[in-house]
Amino acid sequence: MIKVNQLLKTVPTADGDLTILRGIDLSIAAGASAAIVGASGSGKSTLLGLLAGMDVASGGEVWLDGVCISSLDEDERARLRAEKVGFVFQSFQLLPALTARENVMLPLELAGVSDARQIAERFLAEVGLRDRLDHYPTTLSGGEQQRVAIARAFAREPAVLFADEPTGNLDTRTGERIVDLLFELNARVSTTLVLVTHDERLAGRCDQRFSMTAGELSGS
Amino acid sequence: MRQALTWKLLAREWRSGELGILLMALVLAVSVVVGVSSFVTRLQSALLSESARFLAADMVVVSRAPVPTSWVTAAEAMTLRSTEVVGFPSMAVADIDHMALVSIKAVSMGYPLRGELQWSEEPYGAVRSGGAIPGQGEVWLAPRLFALLDVNLGDEIIVGEQPLVITGAVRGEPDATTAVFGFGPRLLMNTADIPATGVIQPGSRVEYRLLLGGDADSVAEFSEWVTPSLGQGQRLDSVEGAQPSIGETLDRAQGFLLLAGSLAVVLAAAAITLASRRFGERHTQYVAILKSLGAQSREISRLYGRSLFWIGMMGTVAGCILGWALQETFIRVLGAILPVEPGAAGSKPVLIGAVTAAVCLIFFAWPPLRRLGEASPLRVLRADLSVADAQRKRDFFVGSLAIVGLMWWYSGSAVVTGAVIAGLCVVMGLGFIAARILLSGGRSVGGFAGSIWRVALAGLQRRGRANALQMVIFAMAIMLMLLLSVVRTSLIGQWQAQLPSNAPNHFLLNLAPEERPKLEDFFSNNDIRAETLYPMTRGRVISVNDAQLPKWEEVMEDGSPRQREANFTWSESLPTGNELLQGEWWSADTQGAWVSIEEEFARDIGAEVGDRLTLLIGADPLEVTVQSVRSVDWQSMRPNFFMVFPRKVLEAFPGMYMTSFRLLPEQKSLLNQLVRVLPTVTVIELDIVIREMRAVVDQVARALELVLGVILMAGGLVLISGVRSSLDGRLRESALLRAVGARKGLVLGALWIEFLVLGGLAGLLAGVGAEVAAWSLQTQVFSMSWTPTPVMWVLGPVLGALIVGGLGVWSCRRVVNVPPIVILREF
Ligand SMILES: Nc1ncnc2c1ncn2[C@@H]1O[C@H](COP(=O)(O)OP(=O)(O)OP(=O)(O)O)[C@@H](O)[C@H]1O
Ligand SMILES: [Mg+2]
Repeated sequence: MIKVNQLLKTVPTADGDLTILRGIDLSIAAGASAAIVGASGSGKSTLLGLLAGMDVASGGEVWLDGVCISSLDEDERARLRAEKVGFVFQSFQLLPALTARENVMLPLELAGVSDARQIAERFLAEVGLRDRLDHYPTTLSGGEQQRVAIARAFAREPAVLFADEPTGNLDTRTGERIVDLLFELNARVSTTLVLVTHDERLAGRCDQRFSMTAGELSGS
Repeated sequence: MRQALTWKLLAREWRSGELGILLMALVLAVSVVVGVSSFVTRLQSALLSESARFLAADMVVVSRAPVPTSWVTAAEAMTLRSTEVVGFPSMAVADIDHMALVSIKAVSMGYPLRGELQWSEEPYGAVRSGGAIPGQGEVWLAPRLFALLDVNLGDEIIVGEQPLVITGAVRGEPDATTAVFGFGPRLLMNTADIPATGVIQPGSRVEYRLLLGGDADSVAEFSEWVTPSLGQGQRLDSVEGAQPSIGETLDRAQGFLLLAGSLAVVLAAAAITLASRRFGERHTQYVAILKSLGAQSREISRLYGRSLFWIGMMGTVAGCILGWALQETFIRVLGAILPVEPGAAGSKPVLIGAVTAAVCLIFFAWPPLRRLGEASPLRVLRADLSVADAQRKRDFFVGSLAIVGLMWWYSGSAVVTGAVIAGLCVVMGLGFIAARILLSGGRSVGGFAGSIWRVALAGLQRRGRANALQMVIFAMAIMLMLLLSVVRTSLIGQWQAQLPSNAPNHFLLNLAPEERPKLEDFFSNNDIRAETLYPMTRGRVISVNDAQLPKWEEVMEDGSPRQREANFTWSESLPTGNELLQGEWWSADTQGAWVSIEEEFARDIGAEVGDRLTLLIGADPLEVTVQSVRSVDWQSMRPNFFMVFPRKVLEAFPGMYMTSFRLLPEQKSLLNQLVRVLPTVTVIELDIVIREMRAVVDQVARALELVLGVILMAGGLVLISGVRSSLDGRLRESALLRAVGARKGLVLGALWIEFLVLGGLAGLLAGVGAEVAAWSLQTQVFSMSWTPTPVMWVLGPVLGALIVGGLGVWSCRRVVNVPPIVILREF
């Protein structure tokens, strides 16, 4: 499902180029779940963004579901994201101008799903936000915003779901419910799961475990 | 993206208020452009008809023979009003001992079509105006004719074979400078009496004038229709051709109005640009998230293209309506004090408004959004916009070019546009240098300054780019406001200087040398200060280089050389207010048989420097060589002469004198005594002209004040939206500062310093830019002399700092009044 060869990422900064990823190789099977762990600043979010086709690598290749996304242009990658990818950002990235329900409806609407409203409501109910449908993100707590973001990523039942610390802001019980939900989806529609997490228990439930150190990846 | 979804997203955007902000800015900008420019256009057409008063009409058919009645019918068919004036010299006889050569003007119902006829019941009595002309069987006389003919109100005088009753004194005619029928004092009568007088015979020197009045289109239509059939001795006089002394005032006022309109365009563009940028910045995240969810750039482009299109449409329509209402309100409210009836605005202002909005949206709002659509979502989320930034300069450049084009189109004047652009370029150039210095030098200052300063300077530096742009826009707005104020002040100042309130306001001509003691007695008895007496001789130029000039009556076409009669004087030095155009001035004791002539006079007789002129003074010939050509400031209220000779040349001829003196309004009746003591002198009541001109100048000045006020309001709006556009970042940072424990005083103090520095710098730049623009405008457009305006250099920074500082801190006041967490949650 996901295959990465010699992935490089450098960014220009005020004090010259900064290399964030130094030749990453990894491969994750379809329907499998994988955890990426590592110290803060080691490059996990950067890698996840590249895997999801949200950014362009400086070198190397990323294959997603048989497509080499390194050779796609931005619009083709967008189409790929719309069709196959769900993403939970570390910092949620909800649209402040939209209500919780509208935020979840957005990817469904973009894909032209007709009963977007019902689906959105169902997923919001699953993450425990049935009563907060019409609330705006600024009036939600950090954990609640995270749950809206997760509902949004789930709603399209994507082929691959990337989640950047999905439980980072949640209490243990809610965190567990979310994790259950993730694996249920993984099992039901054989969604491939790629998670960045500091939670060892969560990492332990995954089929594969990678650990990131200063831009280099180890693990299987 | 499906259509329905686009609408849905648009509706959500609308609900969130983001579109509303842009729409508001657009509506405001468009309504300012439309409002100001249609107000200005209407004022302009009003001012044009103001100059029509010097023709007493919008157009005049001038003819040596009666104007065909078919022309009158045609004019009426074209919805023009018309009235006929007939002018000729003749004798007026009171009795066998009292007769005078007069210049007769016969008028009919409706005269004048523009301007006002001024008259009084007593010779120098209170002036009344409007609504009346002499009826059939009546005449009005120039005041001095009463003394000359020794007649009173109610007496009869005979013109030709017809006795007419004196019922008033004519004091001022709107077309006095354009309709001159000989040199005698004026006698005004009714055209209905002309046949009975029997004075008009074949070969008489008569001028028939058909005055026409109506809207510009009809006037143009008639002009086109009649021009092919104009025969010998017939011509059309139009407003443009009339050269009233007030003409230059009106020209300058028009220049000012055009300038104001152009500034409105620039200000509107700045306001829309600011709002667009804010819109773009606040939508960065929106676009990024849409993209991360798989929206393609084409879809995003379509979403924003459509949003901007609809906002543009709504903004333009609403702006046009509001702008129209704005100017209509102006006209309604100010109707009473407006110079004359305002004309129509036409569709140009609306077009200008719409194009301004379109240009701003296409070049300033659209490109950042389009680029967002092309960037990768993570880039956008990390706000790492270096790729997009590279293109910004080009958009900015193209957009600015478009605005320049708009200004040019609007003003129709490359010079006005150029002057404003020059000022703006200076502002921008200096602005970016200042920003550089601010950005690099700030940190070292911050090092030893107190912590408020450190916070403020850090803020200035962190938002360096945004601040530089903001400063430049503040500076532009302040500059435009300063510029317009300066131009207005100097225009009005100059107009007032032209009409000094304590200068002589009466001319006295034709004073015989032996009558000088009588005049001096009269002046000292009545406490009137005597001014210089100028020697004055009357004569006629009959040939140039021995080639005989044709007489006035013999020349049919306009513009060909002809004999001219004029008043001369002698002078040892170049008269004040005159300027030598060619040749040289003579030394005081010269013996040369020379003359200096006025430029238009030179053209009339067809003479140049070095030509030999033959003159007739009385019956005596005089030969002189043209030594120089002068220009004369006809707007100065001083005696001016067409021909000036060296003292020796003219001393030999019997001459008269002229002088000027000042009378207060309550002394006017002294004129009656004066003309009885000295019946042969001519008194020119300049005070009536001055009053007329002052009225015009006052009204024009008031109109300019109004326009200035509107522009100041528009500038204020730009300042407000400029401050608002930077609010998000500042609010969040201030909230963060508060969250980490900064006192209110520190946060507010730092904000004050930041905005004061921005505003002060902007004001300083504005002062410099306004000076540059004022210099080029005053020298190139308004043909005035330029003097620096040091007060602007002080006022600019002070006002800039206070206004921007006040507005800025006021807009950010929430940050200290609301718990920081409330603000932080919003981001
Ligand atoms: N566009 C960029 N410009 C400059 N530096 C960047 C950029 N993107 C990432 N970095 C740097 O690269 C490093 C890795 O960032 P990344 O967000 O991938 O870390 P992370 O492993 O997800 O950390 P955390 O666990 O704290 O989320 C960081 O030091 C970050 O500052
Ligand atoms: Mg991270």
